[in-house]
Amino acid sequence: MAEAALEIVDASAGYAGRIVLDAIKLSARKGELTAIVGPNGHGKSTLLKAISGLVPVTSGEIRLDGQRIDRLRPDQIVERGVIQVPQGDLLFPAMTVHENLLMGAYANSGGLAERLDFVFALLPKLKERRNQTAGTLSGGERRMCGIGRGLMAGGAVLMLDEPSLGLAPIVIEHIYEVIFNLRREGRTILLVEENAERIAEHADMIHLLDNGRIAWSGLGAELMARPEIIETYLGV
Amino acid sequence: MDVVIQIIASGLTLGAMYAVATIGLSLVYGSLNMLNMAHGAILTLGGYICYAAIVHAGLNPALALLAAALVCALVGLLIYFCAALPLLRAENFETNIFIATIGIGSVIENLMLKGFGPYPIPQPLAAGGQVVICNVHIPLQNVFILGVAIVLMVAVAILLQRTSTGRAIRATSMNREAAQLMGVRVGRVYAQVLALSGALAAVSGIMISSIATLTPVMGGDPMLKAFIVCVVAGLGNVYGAVIAAIALGLLEAATQYVLGVRWSFATLLLLVILVLIWRPYGLFGKQQVVRL
Repeated sequence: MAEAALEIVDASAGYAGRIVLDAIKLSARKGELTAIVGPNGHGKSTLLKAISGLVPVTSGEIRLDGQRIDRLRPDQIVERGVIQVPQGDLLFPAMTVHENLLMGAYANSGGLAERLDFVFALLPKLKERRNQTAGTLSGGERRMCGIGRGLMAGGAVLMLDEPSLGLAPIVIEHIYEVIFNLRREGRTILLVEENAERIAEHADMIHLLDNGRIAWSGLGAELMARPEIIETYLGV
Repeated sequence: MDVVIQIIASGLTLGAMYAVATIGLSLVYGSLNMLNMAHGAILTLGGYICYAAIVHAGLNPALALLAAALVCALVGLLIYFCAALPLLRAENFETNIFIATIGIGSVIENLMLKGFGPYPIPQPLAAGGQVVICNVHIPLQNVFILGVAIVLMVAVAILLQRTSTGRAIRATSMNREAAQLMGVRVGRVYAQVLALSGALAAVSGIMISSIATLTPVMGGDPMLKAFIVCVVAGLGNVYGAVIAAIALGLLEAATQYVLGVRWSFATLLLLVILVLIWRPYGLFGKQQVVRL
């Protein structure tokens, strides 16, 4: 079994005194795809924000390679290699695609040209659109740009928050092809997804988050074999 | 034809001064959502520091300008660490910082009143002589102001477009959370922006006092006009602010010639009202409403 890259140990977090995550315990192992599934509004995005330092962790610990990161600022967490591609991309709309990608490498600009080549090889559409402002991209292109920007950081852990949200099925297929390729290349990925079926086959581990707590953990095939869980928690 | 050249020359000078005064204000609003009401006082402080550096310390004009810019950049930093930073942690930042900077501006003004007295003082950093363009005599000082303003605007544009620091400033103004997720230390960006705004205000204050005179309350009028430019351009839009500043400078010069000096400010206010009715988010702004 691979060593844990990111460990969340009994971590609770929330906004303005309201606890959203309650004693979460999970880990993302090196070179694996770890998925977090669950209904909307039950804390999946908050979990990624807590890991990135945007939401304060009130108790418990978050560790990267054994080192605590839950007391660090967001920029320090990025410097240590925990990169998040947030829900809805959050691109910089008035910047070009190229500038958005450069922003991805803001905290770690070493080997910039190689990383840019890698991103353009993986997502060739971005090369075509490199001088176009991000605000004028289509939904799928925006998502690609968001993922490309995340890859530019060259971090140890890539966290993706619902990369398929609001996209056409054919675009979703392409986005997931890119993500699964990254997994095959040995990237450590923590993926938040509402649709468990979509990732069940490729995820090394799936955690079901319900009401801010981990309700179930296991392999994708195990989850698919438990229709009662899928029906109760994921409404499928 | 001579009249048109005269109006254009005066308008460009006014527009250049407004643009330099507005860039800082706009950058600060764009990054922090902060209306810096101390901007006028910082601008005046820049004028006085330059005066004191030349007259009392005997520095040469270039060093005096640099000293004024440095002191006002430090004041910008102080505003960040002493007012903006603590208030950012609390709720209602926009309203609280608006009120806090009114107080800071008042303190700076009173310190200048105490230190330099209430009487008008001529700014020693002024170029004499004039240039003649198509039989129109244009003061060399106006040409000098225009030149300095262009150099500063180009420098700010290069900083924002071509450097990593500038991209971080733009990223923070577009989406603070996304910038943090890229590893931008937004607190540092805020401090940089307030320091830059202070330095630009100082240069603007020197320019304005070089064609008028130094008084402790001289910053009020240019700050008001800088706000007008910001509102017309769209709050936080730096490039829009430069275009709006030049356009408003030309309009003011034309109004002064055609209708008289006392109508120029009223015309600007009328324009703001019309722009706010037509496009509440400004000519170059995004469609959003910020309530104070």
